[in-house]
Amino acid sequence: MRKWQVSIAACFLIAALFVPLLVPTDYTLQILFRVFLFAALGLAWNLVGGYAGQLSLGHAAYFGVGAYGLALFSQLGISPWASVLLGVVLAIICAAMIGRVSFRLRGPYFALCTIAFAEVLRLVAKNLPSVTGGDVGVQVPLLFTQSTIRSFYWSGVLLTALAFALSAWIERSRFGYYLMAIREDQDTALSVGVNAARCKLWALLISAAITALGGALYASMFLFIVPDQVLAMDISTEIAIVAMLGGAGTLLGPLLGSVVLESAAEIFKNVFKEAHLLIYGVLIVLVVLFMPEGIVGTFTKKLGLYKKAPSAPFRAPLPSTTEEESQRIAVDE
Amino acid sequence: MSLLEVKRVSKRFGGLKAINDVSFSVKPGEVTFIVGPNGAGKTTLFNLITSVFHADSGSIHFDGRDISHLTPNGAAEIGIGRTFQLVKPLRNLTVLENVMLGAFLRTSSPAKAEKEAAKVLRFLQMEKVLHLPARGMGLPTLKRLEIARALATQPKLILLDEVVAGLTTSEAMRLAVLLKRLPEWGISTIGGIEHVMQVVMRVADRVIVLDHGNLIAEGVPQDVVHRPEVIEAYLGSKYKEIAS
Repeated sequence: MRKWQVSIAACFLIAALFVPLLVPTDYTLQILFRVFLFAALGLAWNLVGGYAGQLSLGHAAYFGVGAYGLALFSQLGISPWASVLLGVVLAIICAAMIGRVSFRLRGPYFALCTIAFAEVLRLVAKNLPSVTGGDVGVQVPLLFTQSTIRSFYWSGVLLTALAFALSAWIERSRFGYYLMAIREDQDTALSVGVNAARCKLWALLISAAITALGGALYASMFLFIVPDQVLAMDISTEIAIVAMLGGAGTLLGPLLGSVVLESAAEIFKNVFKEAHLLIYGVLIVLVVLFMPEGIVGTFTKKLGLYKKAPSAPFRAPLPSTTEEESQRIAVDE
Repeated sequence: MSLLEVKRVSKRFGGLKAINDVSFSVKPGEVTFIVGPNGAGKTTLFNLITSVFHADSGSIHFDGRDISHLTPNGAAEIGIGRTFQLVKPLRNLTVLENVMLGAFLRTSSPAKAEKEAAKVLRFLQMEKVLHLPARGMGLPTLKRLEIARALATQPKLILLDEVVAGLTTSEAMRLAVLLKRLPEWGISTIGGIEHVMQVVMRVADRVIVLDHGNLIAEGVPQDVVHRPEVIEAYLGSKYKEIAS
């Protein structure tokens, strides 16, 4: 099951290398950039929300910090790429602080806490015009000066490949097992010596770093950002939906989710005009109702790719007992 | 020298004295069973030893060090394994993966963890279910899975909370035969059991009887079951007179 997920993703990424050769329009490349950007963001979210099972609905915080980091640090005269790095570092620091507080909570309270932190950051950005430009917004430097759209496309593909490789590696490592154990049952994880708090925090730090990189790319593409755009709930939910639609806790899920969701959004815009958000929303509701485990989760089950549990209640082969012991058992009974 | 030393430990939940001034010790390689009726404080005692709760007073020493203020994962690290009364398998992972999780405590390599897990599962005679997901397994298998996961952490002491609850007598006795072999691995055992006395009589070197948080009797199983205070705790004062 893991093998074919990796193969499909590899084929997909290799196919992505040939897309610019087909001389697509700037418009198509821009859509594809968005597809890859959200695939990478979904993969990053998947580490926390999928493998570790901690439903974060506040990833806009790290996305926004990455975006504002690029804008504000470069205003201080720092080169754009160095500003991106500083933004990532800032996002990691934010994640460390947010994680420390929010991971004390479990279940829906954790989710609410992450939303609250993202909202606080959005309101701070709105109300500190001297630093962030407030609602007026702030200008973002271009990261690529030549063949801009193509370069953004490549950077999106690269970020996705990076996030995918990292996820694939983590999934097979001890760290990955620990994250899944925390998702399945935190008390069990603790009983075998898993430092759940530390594992969750590390997952969030890695996730925040990738998310901030994505935020910086997104901001640079638009050249101009306002708080309600990069720190909005919309971003948080879109990232989470991408991963959950494809299949949270699976390698291929976020990639597939982004392809389906982002292309559907674009197609609906052209076909249904004003009604596109309505159709889009209904579609998400239907998927959540009928495919709660996401596309990958549902299909692996349907196709029987997952090892099936025995249909009859299983009885483990019982240990052989010596003649004398089995007699005593018989007497006891 | 004793491996575990519980000294005058008390724990209160609001007005309820769950554990009241309990002291006992466990020697290396010994199989101790804590018996007592429902609500006697067995699980609380296990939670105190594994630092899920911390005692209000008294101290717990393990391997010569004070472990009264550890964390649950810290307790696992220094060699205290445990199973849960209500089985807590990682349902979406396979049996082997469940046990590997325990083995990861001593190695970071998945290959080595897999080898260790396979070894433990062989001992518990579960080879046939290695690659099946834990969900859908019957209770006898899940009880064994709990033990396997704890054994894979290579503990010095293993706490088995209600290890045979919900099993039929023959299933329980078969498990008991395996538990009796644990000292071969150099592991001390503390089992908690409500009333399956056949298992206790067969496996235990020593029995501790709890009633309403108080330690009321301690000794070899054959001796303890005949004491009037134990009979009273289980059957009521009427039977105490008949026994004496």
